[in-house]
Amino acid sequence: MKGRYEKENLYWIPLLIGFIFLLPFLLKYATFSYKYYLFVLNIAGIYIILAVGLDLLSGYTGLISLGHAAFLAIGAYTSAILVDQAGLPFMMSLIISPLIAGLFGLVIGFPALRITGMYLGLTTMGFGFIVKRLIISLREWTHGAGGLEVSSPVLFGYTIKSDWDNYYLIFTFAILAVVVGRRIGKSKIGRAFMAIRDSEQAAEASGIHLAKYKMLAFFISGLFAGFAGVLFAHTSHFISTDHFDMMLSIYFIIMVLVGGVSSIYGAVLGTLFIVLLDNLFVPQLEDWIHGYLNTNTGDIQSLIFGLIMFLFIIFQPFGLYGMWLKIRIYWRIFPFNPRKRFT
Amino acid sequence: MAELNIRNVHMHFSGVVALDGVTFDVKEGEIFSLIGPNGSGKSTLFNCINGFNRPQKGTIKFNNVNLLKKRPHQVITNGIARTFQNIQNVPFMTILDNILLGAHKRINFQSTVKGWINREQRQKEEAMGLEILDFLGIANYEQKYMAGQPFGIQKLTEIARALVAKPKLILLDEPAAGMNEQETVEIAKIISEIREDLGITVLVVEHDMNLVMSISDRICVLDSGKILAIGQPEEVKNHPDVIKAFLGDSADA
Ligand SMILES: Nc1ncnc2c1ncn2[C@@H]1O[C@H](COP(=O)(O)OP(=O)(O)OP(=O)(O)O)[C@@H](O)[C@H]1O
Ligand SMILES: [Mg+2]
Repeated sequence: MKGRYEKENLYWIPLLIGFIFLLPFLLKYATFSYKYYLFVLNIAGIYIILAVGLDLLSGYTGLISLGHAAFLAIGAYTSAILVDQAGLPFMMSLIISPLIAGLFGLVIGFPALRITGMYLGLTTMGFGFIVKRLIISLREWTHGAGGLEVSSPVLFGYTIKSDWDNYYLIFTFAILAVVVGRRIGKSKIGRAFMAIRDSEQAAEASGIHLAKYKMLAFFISGLFAGFAGVLFAHTSHFISTDHFDMMLSIYFIIMVLVGGVSSIYGAVLGTLFIVLLDNLFVPQLEDWIHGYLNTNTGDIQSLIFGLIMFLFIIFQPFGLYGMWLKIRIYWRIFPFNPRKRFT
Repeated sequence: MAELNIRNVHMHFSGVVALDGVTFDVKEGEIFSLIGPNGSGKSTLFNCINGFNRPQKGTIKFNNVNLLKKRPHQVITNGIARTFQNIQNVPFMTILDNILLGAHKRINFQSTVKGWINREQRQKEEAMGLEILDFLGIANYEQKYMAGQPFGIQKLTEIARALVAKPKLILLDEPAAGMNEQETVEIAKIISEIREDLGITVLVVEHDMNLVMSISDRICVLDSGKILAIGQPEEVKNHPDVIKAFLGDSADA
């Protein structure tokens, strides 16, 4: 019976990892402004970690979170305080801070046992506001709304300073997050998550403890977001509550949605798509439109993301990854294509 | 003895009486059918056994374990698996994964974590599902997504999901509903094989009288939550109350 199912092609994985590690060199060779590109890629890498966790929660388990920026903030502030004020080593904080964010996930997961859908969306959104207020009011540690300077990461006595070094740090963990996310998604945990999303009855009849697995989804998701938060704080060197607002949470949900729910690769694609669009394409478009119209910064961004979300929900509910799957299947069975796939 | 004992079960939903003093036993190794007109309480009884509904009166025991004290997710660990009348599955998972959902309790946390790094462990898991797929004769469907599969395959996958848990008793809610004649024959064969080859006791709800008559050891007829008749197929078929209440208006339909 062996090997019947696992005949997946894996040769592209080392190739892809090799490419990721060579990318900074290619960029440097190709363009003068490679530092900006590295900066953008670093943001993408951090958000990939968060998006993988959010996909497990909102994509797989169907529990929508519109407050995920709060978990990112918890990870970031916890680590900044632990490392810079309590003197904990960065490596320790890398373990403890995500755990604390995960515990907050359990706290917010509790009401999720009773409510779903839009109401859960509103509750998690409220959680986002509360966390923001909390951070501002804990002035002694967080410097309130003024923001907080954060030290550079120190690994094995080596201080990571440049965006170049950050890139390797971030993408090592981003790859790890994707691997772990996929393993979770393909194991009995991922199956339980999806069953909860699509049929609570089938899940319970199969022996799945609904409450336990919903809490687990929130915990794992908080853990990933907290991890992203730690990296965010120490690689951007400055954090403030302005950054972790509701728009950012919505931005995260769009990433998962655009990539295609319940697919880890989809979350990665969605994150890359949105971050690159936001940092490389939107500013140019904004400049161009400024020539004709008097708009505020941010207007165009909101408009474009609103539009993207709208179009994807209507035309591509399975996201970029679903699109890719369809294209692949299309060519494999070409020219004998049935009219309709994926009904 | 793996026996299901249902005693004097009453269940009403704010005024609507769904079950009104139902009492019967399903013996080990039996194929026991539950029939009755629409709304007679068959699915409600399944839900009571399964823990989705809590009857107001009566007891349900399996192997002397009081099932009414169990929560729905605990029932399967007591050896009872089920399928649903309206198919319940996960469209965006492969058929194999849908089936492995039923193996949830056979895979512990340790082997899950081990499976993250060890491919053989993952293959061991998959083998649980593949075994059942082979048994049902739909092995070539393993990697297909559930969404868009023919109705018959979806129903078989539900049965497979219940079987992979290795239950002692399986509850099938209308396994042949919506199937064509050939598929119904296939289902009849599968139900017999579940008992013969896997040694699982079967409690089945079904409207197709030919199917029920051909496979059942005993049949229980429900009408408006009350038992009209209970016994071997021949007895039930010729029971005057049954002919009047049920067979009379739907047997030839
Ligand atoms: N959750 C519920 N809330 C209210 N009433 C219910 C509920 N479940 C079942 N009922 C009622 O209980 C009665 C029995 O329903 P049940 O589904 O058990 O019938 P059934 O024998 O399975 O019928 P069918 O052959 O149509 O499947 C019906 O009158 C139904 O409306
Ligand atoms: Mg029914």
